[in-house]
Amino acid sequence: MRQVIEGSHAVSEAVRLARVQVISAYPITPQTHIVERLSEYCANGTMNARFLRVESEHSAMAALIGAATNGVRTFTASSSQGLALMHELLHWASGARLPIVMAEVNRAMAPGWNIWTEQTDSLAQRDTGWVQLYCEHGQEVLDTTIQAFRLAEWLNLPVMVILDAFFLSHTYEPVDVPDQDSVDRFLPPYQPRFQLDLENPCAFNQLAPPNVYMEMRHNIQMAMDTALGFFEQMEEEFENIFGRRHGALEAIQCQDAEVIMITTGTVTSTSRQVLTELRQKGEKVGLLKIKLFRPFPANMIRELTASAAKIAVIDRNFSFGASGIFAQEIKAALCNLETRPLVYGYVAGLGGRDITPEVIEDIYWRTKNSTAPKGDSLWVGLHEVSHEL
Amino acid sequence: MASQQPLTNPIPLLIPCSHLTTEGNKTGSWRFLRPHYEEKTSPCSVACPAGEDISRIEMLTAEGFFKEAWETILMENPFPGVGGRVCYHPCEQSCNRGEFDEPVAIHTLERFLADTAIRYDLKPALEKLPARNKRIAVVGSGPSGLAAAFFLARLGYEVDVFEAQSEPGGVLRWAIPLYRLPLSILNQEIAQIRELGVRIHCGKPIPQQFLREQQSDYDAIFLGCGHSRGIPLKIFGEDLGGTEDGLQFLQRIRRGEIFSLQGTAAIIGGGNTAIDTARSAARLGAKVILIYRRRRQDMPAFHDEIEMALEEGVEIWELQTPVKISSQNGDLIVTLQQMRVTSEDQQGRARIKPVPGKKKEILVQHLFTAIGASTEEQWYDPPKKGTDILRLSNCTLVYQSGRPVLVYGGDLVADTKSVVHAVASGKQAALALDTLFGEGLDAISSKLQTCLVGKGPSISMEIFLGGVRSQRKHRMVRYEDLNSDYFQFAPVISQPRLLREERIQSFAEINLKVGASLAIREAERCFNCGLCNQCDNCQLFCPEVAVIRDNNPRGRHINYDYCKGCGVCVVECPRNAMTLEEELLCGKS
Repeated sequence: MRQVIEGSHAVSEAVRLARVQVISAYPITPQTHIVERLSEYCANGTMNARFLRVESEHSAMAALIGAATNGVRTFTASSSQGLALMHELLHWASGARLPIVMAEVNRAMAPGWNIWTEQTDSLAQRDTGWVQLYCEHGQEVLDTTIQAFRLAEWLNLPVMVILDAFFLSHTYEPVDVPDQDSVDRFLPPYQPRFQLDLENPCAFNQLAPPNVYMEMRHNIQMAMDTALGFFEQMEEEFENIFGRRHGALEAIQCQDAEVIMITTGTVTSTSRQVLTELRQKGEKVGLLKIKLFRPFPANMIRELTASAAKIAVIDRNFSFGASGIFAQEIKAALCNLETRPLVYGYVAGLGGRDITPEVIEDIYWRTKNSTAPKGDSLWVGLHEVSHEL
Repeated sequence: MASQQPLTNPIPLLIPCSHLTTEGNKTGSWRFLRPHYEEKTSPCSVACPAGEDISRIEMLTAEGFFKEAWETILMENPFPGVGGRVCYHPCEQSCNRGEFDEPVAIHTLERFLADTAIRYDLKPALEKLPARNKRIAVVGSGPSGLAAAFFLARLGYEVDVFEAQSEPGGVLRWAIPLYRLPLSILNQEIAQIRELGVRIHCGKPIPQQFLREQQSDYDAIFLGCGHSRGIPLKIFGEDLGGTEDGLQFLQRIRRGEIFSLQGTAAIIGGGNTAIDTARSAARLGAKVILIYRRRRQDMPAFHDEIEMALEEGVEIWELQTPVKISSQNGDLIVTLQQMRVTSEDQQGRARIKPVPGKKKEILVQHLFTAIGASTEEQWYDPPKKGTDILRLSNCTLVYQSGRPVLVYGGDLVADTKSVVHAVASGKQAALALDTLFGEGLDAISSKLQTCLVGKGPSISMEIFLGGVRSQRKHRMVRYEDLNSDYFQFAPVISQPRLLREERIQSFAEINLKVGASLAIREAERCFNCGLCNQCDNCQLFCPEVAVIRDNNPRGRHINYDYCKGCGVCVVECPRNAMTLEEELLCGKS
């Protein structure tokens, strides 16, 4: 049924429909609405789940690690500083191969204290072994959250569903909230491949010396390698039931494009409009939306950008001392090709600053009119400021 | 679109996982700190002169075990019904909960338990030791004498109590007004002492010669004669008539000799007898002025009693002292000297001096004195000097070869003259005598030392008898020793009382009963300092599952094969019933 709900509640509804059994979370803006709604569902019996209140995000993840080891479906949500506090246990969740699902609302890191959107928080967790999926709109948030459980339980790896603060988390949009039966058909009860068992006592995750540790790490990568293939199969199933799919990547008018703009999250929606306008003016421009960041779909990106002369990557994030993080990843994916497009890195919209259609159009013209990138990233829309204290 | 990767199913899943139990890994070998269950002493029980096991009493009350809770009081004090009403409850001042929100209303709960026992006609299951074939005489049936008789009887002694008055109880019967202590309660608790085999002989005044009889029927005599003679004002006109000792007045009321009091009554004094006299006079219809030479905050009377006296219309004139009394047409004119505060002593009590030339007169119809009391006869007091005298904290033993041992107790030896101190005195006398007969005079001090509650001075009958409480550590639990994260703020029960208007019309008991649900709620406020109430936090938090539940009253033990000594159990114990100690390294490699 189509309902007008905010992005946060698109997550909550998906978690309810996924019949999650244990939820543990610590509130942080802009994530709080997600677990607020879920705590109400737990309290009023809408969900048959335990909501564990904890004193920190670190404990929230620790609690879920315990619960997931017991073989139940688990969920948490966090953001920014909270996610950073979880860091140690993010590694643990993937190393222990636990299919925990987390909604992560992109928020800039402090200081300066900032609650608005930016991707540096989740991208800083790039190497923790979590699958990362960046969403564009409310419907995608709901669908991706439901899919995340399938994906996590298939891979025995944790999955992060990522949405922009406020632009997505607090924006009301019409979203089709499916009925329980359809979701049950798509997402059967979790069948754990291992769990704590009093009848067969054993220890999990104890010492792994050098002679086995490397194989265990390789095992995680082997699982990651299957993710993209499974994702496509799963989306097909999803489409058969719900009539829609979003793709690990989405290429819009890339076939004949000379300049391809690469975006993630809500900037994609704005870029779709700019693309339409530029195309009307006869510009040969394409748009590539990256949803799946880990595992990184390098092959697909290479194929989809093969014919373009230039790529403009819009990064709402930054790695200090280097460049925008998506731009780095894309350059790395292309570097061994004999002929490859020039990659222009743009940094925009940090700390929740608007990325308007004008900004995106400006990025397009700069890219088109340039003969070669000057440096690794260009900061777009910087204000004149005094650089003194 | 993208190249389809082959799906292997199941997905590679190599994780660290043992295929056997890890019980072989005895993590106890890592331990250098050792937690153990160790019950400790609550501050309230230390502050209680009778050494009542208050934290346990409240634990039992909270669980609805009212009879057991009542018996736990009776273990240390024969007067829960009396104490629950008239005790000044020093326990509450030391209650650790006072540092959290407000102290537990211990006295209200004590009274509730006693009332419940009466209501259901409960009979206490008190242990009585085999007969010792020794006889003890108790002179005076006030609280100290009755307490001595109570404890001696339980220890197996044959006890005769001699009372000069027509009925037993002493100060409890004759001096404490009915609105504070109804007779039925007193009678019930005295009957309980009789149930133990104690014989109480009323109308039997004892002559001095009794103490020195060579061929005595008794092996020991306890003297708890109390202070029943009011101290005179020693001012001009006191003997004109119309001036009465407050204690006498209270006694005459109890005898039913006075039904009303007209005009203005002045009461001289600031102690509890003065307040009792004032409030009684108000009930009989008089306008009452209480005259005290120091300030109101210096009055030795209990604060609550002063407050209620004021509510009941008693006027308090501070810094006034009578210097002369004269009579005029049957009325009395009292000349009052204005006093002033010169300084304060260490306790903050005012030092005073007369203000020259500042005098005034007051016309009254009645004048009552209540400035203190002393013994009726000089020989009631313990000898000032002599040999073979053992002065303990609450009683004095005089050993006389070939004659009965004398023990002086109650107000005769007490620094603080209160009912509960009298009980403490009777108990100490009983335990001292039992030690004397069993182990000799020299053993008394050291034996009583082992029975201290905390560091004392209260002593415990249960510890003396080697009960469960004797296993408890003497260390007193402080507020900082508790884990207050587990406690929630909760207001203290408010004592329901008669309305002021109802109060002053009769001698009906002012404090009303509280129901079981309120009592349980109040008892649940108790932190149960130092005691295990089986909350199971230790078991829930132990990361090694090394706390093992047992099928016995102690509840659980630690499996030291696996306890790593992390100390989480000790930290998470809300009530300091566990202790973490350094592991002794001997015997470990």
